[in-house]
Amino acid sequence: MFHALYTAASGMTAQQINLDNIANNLANASTSGFQSRRVQFSDLLYQSEVMPGSAATQQTTVAAGLQVGLGTRPGNTEIIQTQGDLSSTGNPLDFAIEGTGFFQILMPNNQIGYTRSGSFQPNAQGALVTANGDALQPAITVPANATNITVGSDGTVSATLPGQTNASQVGTIQLATFANPGGLNSIGNNIYLATTASGDPVVGTPGGADGLGTIQQGMLEQANVNIVDEFVNMILAQRSYESNSRVVKAADEMLQGLNQVAQ
Amino acid sequence: MDSGYYAASTALIARTQALDTIANNLANASTVGYRAQHNDFSSVLAQASGAPDSDLDQAINNYGIMSGTTLDETQGALQKTGNDLDMAIQGSGFFVVQTSGGPMYTRNGSFQVSSKGLLTTAAGDPVLGDKGTISMPPGSVSISPDGTLSSNGAVAGKLKLVSFTAGTQLTSAGETYYSAPPNTETAATDSTVKQGMLESSNVNPVTSMVELITAQRSAEMMQRELTMYSSEMDKTATQELPKVN
Repeated sequence: MFHALYTAASGMTAQQINLDNIANNLANASTSGFQSRRVQFSDLLYQSEVMPGSAATQQTTVAAGLQVGLGTRPGNTEIIQTQGDLSSTGNPLDFAIEGTGFFQILMPNNQIGYTRSGSFQPNAQGALVTANGDALQPAITVPANATNITVGSDGTVSATLPGQTNASQVGTIQLATFANPGGLNSIGNNIYLATTASGDPVVGTPGGADGLGTIQQGMLEQANVNIVDEFVNMILAQRSYESNSRVVKAADEMLQGLNQVAQ
Repeated sequence: MDSGYYAASTALIARTQALDTIANNLANASTVGYRAQHNDFSSVLAQASGAPDSDLDQAINNYGIMSGTTLDETQGALQKTGNDLDMAIQGSGFFVVQTSGGPMYTRNGSFQVSSKGLLTTAAGDPVLGDKGTISMPPGSVSISPDGTLSSNGAVAGKLKLVSFTAGTQLTSAGETYYSAPPNTETAATDSTVKQGMLESSNVNPVTSMVELITAQRSAEMMQRELTMYSSEMDKTATQELPKVN
């Protein structure tokens, strides 16, 4: 039977996954700190009916081998690392990272998660937590009666207490970066986990020479989804799906014609 | 008997093989670093014996077969990803990858860092530099156009980019890897590395569609020819002629 039927089917399956990913990117176009993903494909094995370079006669080799590929498969979904736009919110506990770093948060299972969504609020004890209640690491506790909180671009958090004129430092926000941030594991809620592919986190103070980036207070980073790119990719996925289904139809018609020969 | 019958069926087999290649190209139209394959058709003389064939013999026994597939070496479009470890090659060179099956060559520069700190492909095979595998320093990495990887000014290694001697046939191995016969690689002189970009598949959907239609219609012609032989000639010969009135 024709490989073409299965080869085209593999192309159609791949484009379905591509479209699923595009749908997720577009659905999160308004999620602050969201980083879009891109599906990468790789080709499957080849059937070598004539190996390239094999001997045609004792003196000569064939001009080209005859290798028939068996289709495609989705290889991985890579996280796109471009900087999202920063939008001003005016909330002193909204932080955006300008650079490649991630905030570290302590999840309920005592694992450290990484996020670029910098929308924090104090919990009942005054510790800065995410919208899900996961505490920022290292922990920053803001006094309940503080009148003014400022965060420097190097992550220094200072609070002004009533009756005092000088702000006192209450902690420093640290950021983490990875050798291969594209290999992080998304677990939803804007949280990533480190994997062997991403490498171990390198933790440091913002604004330094480590390339972690700086912290911008009162700003949030918008999703780095490029709507135009996603629409272009969506059209490409759709047309590619169509061209693969056209191959299925061609293979079907050729088989049909073959069956009619024997009548 | 009826050598045209075999000529048509040979050509039909060739068209179905051509369809397989076209299907693979279209299925991989979104595969980074994929090189399109082109079908080569050629003719063979079925009675290629020592004795010279008569002109008529040659004409009716010269069958069309699909003799091979060649890789399209044109540059694919470069697509910006913004990921530091994505690299595209502009020019004819290939990255060298160390696999259990020996060195492989790829143009898919979507690399990662393994848990041991080595630069690897998405499949986890180490990418080779001028001095063997490349250990990646922590933190962000910048890659110069000649393939030198550096972090904060310290050089971590230099990617090995290779071309091949003229006439070398690469063998597709899947995973966008290609293998080459030994002693054919040479240093790539015309290639530069672009960081934060990937090379798209060089499949041209338009030519693939035209090839698809051509293969399909040409298969239909062969099918029509087979039908003519079986129903209009052989049937007449075996069923109509023997009826003696």
